[in-house]
Amino acid sequence: MNRRRAVLQVVGGNKIYGGVHAIEGIDFDLFPGEVHALAGENGAGKSTLCKAIAGAIRLTSGDILVDGKRVDFEQPRDALAAGICMVYQETSLVPTMTVAQNIELGNEKLLTRFRTLNIRAQQLLQSLNFQVDPTTPVALLGTAKKQMVEIARAIHNNARIIIFDEPTASLTPEEIVHFFRLVRNLRTRGVAIIYISHALEESLQIANRITVLRDGRSVITAPASTLSRDALVQHMIGRPIVQAICGRNSKGASPRRKKVLTVENVTMGMVVKNMSFSVYAGEVVGIAGLIGSGRTEIARIIFGVLKRNLVNGGIIRLRGRPIRYRVPRQAIDDGIAYITEDRKADGFFETMTVDDNVYIGKLATKRGFTHLLSHARRSKLANYWIERLKINALQRKARIIELSGGNQQKVALAKSLVQDPSIVIFDEPTRGVDVGTIPHINEEIRRLAEQGKAVVVISSYLPEILAVSDRILVARAGQIVAEFNAEEATQDKILYAAVH
Amino acid sequence: MPPDSRLAPANGLRFNLARPSQEQIVLLITIALLIAFSLTLKGFATLNNLLDLLRSISILGILGVGMGLIVISRGIDLSEIAIMAASWSIALIEMQQGMLAGWASIVALGLALTAGVVNGAIVAFVEVPALLVTLATGFAIYGLVLWFAPAYVVYAPKDAPALLFLGAGRVAGVPMPIFVFAFCAIVMHLFLSRTSIGRFVYAQGDNPEAAHLSGVAIRPLIVIEHVLVGLLAWTAGLVWIGTTGSMQMAITQGTMIFDVILVVVIGGISLVGGRGGMFSVMVGCVLIGTLLNAFTIMDINSEVQSIIKGIVLLAAIVLDNRLHPRDEETARQGDL
Repeated sequence: MNRRRAVLQVVGGNKIYGGVHAIEGIDFDLFPGEVHALAGENGAGKSTLCKAIAGAIRLTSGDILVDGKRVDFEQPRDALAAGICMVYQETSLVPTMTVAQNIELGNEKLLTRFRTLNIRAQQLLQSLNFQVDPTTPVALLGTAKKQMVEIARAIHNNARIIIFDEPTASLTPEEIVHFFRLVRNLRTRGVAIIYISHALEESLQIANRITVLRDGRSVITAPASTLSRDALVQHMIGRPIVQAICGRNSKGASPRRKKVLTVENVTMGMVVKNMSFSVYAGEVVGIAGLIGSGRTEIARIIFGVLKRNLVNGGIIRLRGRPIRYRVPRQAIDDGIAYITEDRKADGFFETMTVDDNVYIGKLATKRGFTHLLSHARRSKLANYWIERLKINALQRKARIIELSGGNQQKVALAKSLVQDPSIVIFDEPTRGVDVGTIPHINEEIRRLAEQGKAVVVISSYLPEILAVSDRILVARAGQIVAEFNAEEATQDKILYAAVH
Repeated sequence: MPPDSRLAPANGLRFNLARPSQEQIVLLITIALLIAFSLTLKGFATLNNLLDLLRSISILGILGVGMGLIVISRGIDLSEIAIMAASWSIALIEMQQGMLAGWASIVALGLALTAGVVNGAIVAFVEVPALLVTLATGFAIYGLVLWFAPAYVVYAPKDAPALLFLGAGRVAGVPMPIFVFAFCAIVMHLFLSRTSIGRFVYAQGDNPEAAHLSGVAIRPLIVIEHVLVGLLAWTAGLVWIGTTGSMQMAITQGTMIFDVILVVVIGGISLVGGRGGMFSVMVGCVLIGTLLNAFTIMDINSEVQSIIKGIVLLAAIVLDNRLHPRDEETARQGDL
């Protein structure tokens, strides 16, 4: 491969944000027909590097070379003209337009006939072997198909370099298989691909070479075949990791344990249908399942964010007492905590410090409310949780949005746990969390169960579910379809139940 | 939004010379203007003129304290002027018909608070955007008042010195409106920075969904905020009557509400919510007051004044943009 000329090179790339190096002295190259994966913790500089390549930001210093020639992109449009296209996590398609219109977007002639447009789009989609109807509005497509449209658009724009940022984050296992086939297809067409993913297994599987970034520097670039997951993680965090799994409660069902939460035939619209399960004190129940299987929704129904059907909506019991909350506040007063899956959207207050976030959690409870603020109480609470969750306390005065993903998640946790719940529901507790931090969060989950709390963990990441749960439920199409003990559960069994 | 700027008042004013916040920039510009006008304009740097400058922006400032609160909570209240004009128009009509000034003031207070409750209840429980709700209630209030009491200008009774004192009186040579503005701003600052409910207001403005999920009682909070806006509208009306000796329903139809929003936004209370504080309102007010006062001395006509106001607002936004370049990681829609 090295005999061919690199289609893209970054030489000594630097980007400084407010005095801090987001990336520092990065050298990176990419050959035609190659998949080059970027690995690294959140904040390691993967996104910054890709944004610079795609023209969304400009490097503070250093050069980007395309086909050996120095380029200076002022905006994404310039990069696109050079054949570089970035497929973002959140798709950048216009939902109300059809597939064909979206593919053509930005290249429209003054007058366009929809018929010609549709025919051209159809030809393109067929040549890529995509099963998408060009006349459907994009809003009606699933995530996987939207991604296909994005790729088709990239090809339509003569992209020779495509950057994928977390492309598989919201795909089902089957869609991922299809997506990989597609990436290989692009590779044979001579397209060069930069691939960012948190799932290291995927990078190892699909990439020719992998570059690991740490703290904005490039640590290693090596062929994927010479690397293993452990080696990658070691390079990412700069030291060998402590094994995440902390002795699971393998005693199994203790006869004296108390049933805390019962969900009986709960139904909400088309999303949750007749879902039933129970949670006992002192255990961790993992709920696995694909996106859209109703896992998040049932958590939100229990917590009072969503409302189950009034008629035939089923019953939720808390220690035998039927409950139906209008607002989360009531759930919190009853000792339920819910840590959301998308912390940026609704998990923390971004303009505030760690201390303020934790303190607000306490103030919002019935017993924690005081009319006047107390700085002493705020520091005391924050100190306790910073120590317990090992939050990086160097940045206590910083606004939480400037912290790493792992620290943000820990603060979101602290903000809920400070309310002293007896039932804790985690929704994707380690999504977007750096590898070094995941053990801390898993430890906390186990610790809560050992303290006698009932813990529910919703996660798409099966190794995590297997590591922390005493009992594993599998959700599919709004129902619980399988239940496994910790001992008998395997990834294959869970996946099989989740899909079939 | 850049780091270290727009700190909540609880964090105090932290000066970071490398990355000044919008309120600090506006403060510096104001000081620069004050110095420039003092040197160039005859009669600007006299004690009387400076007191007059402050007096002239006091009503705007009192209204701005209320608007600042609601904008920090990611809301807005376009009916503030209507509440002020309507509650006091009715009170003055009652006074003309023989009601005691004290009782009439309480009636006005009742009306203003009721309007706040109605606004808040619709925003909180019907879940309609505050912008549209208060725009609509503003129209409705205007119509209702003119229907019940068809008088565009109502004069205050001459024999009620207590009623006029807050607007017309002086203590130690300083006009009362300045004290009222300072009092309102300080009390609101203490409310926002020292009480839990104040913290909840910032939390709601920062991320309403997260606040809801954390157990903050959002709906009562919204009602409280709108009631406080009503209270401040009432206070501003009291000062207005003392200053002008009358109340005009016509101001409801004017551009005054935009001036209020202008002083709030210029000082650094972002429309995205959760940012800025009462200091922002004060700085914004003094800047606008300085400009208007200098224009009056220079005898610039009101069209030109309007143009310059527009330019100042634009300049504030552009300056902020230059000093704090948007970072695609943290930028949000509606960010100033």
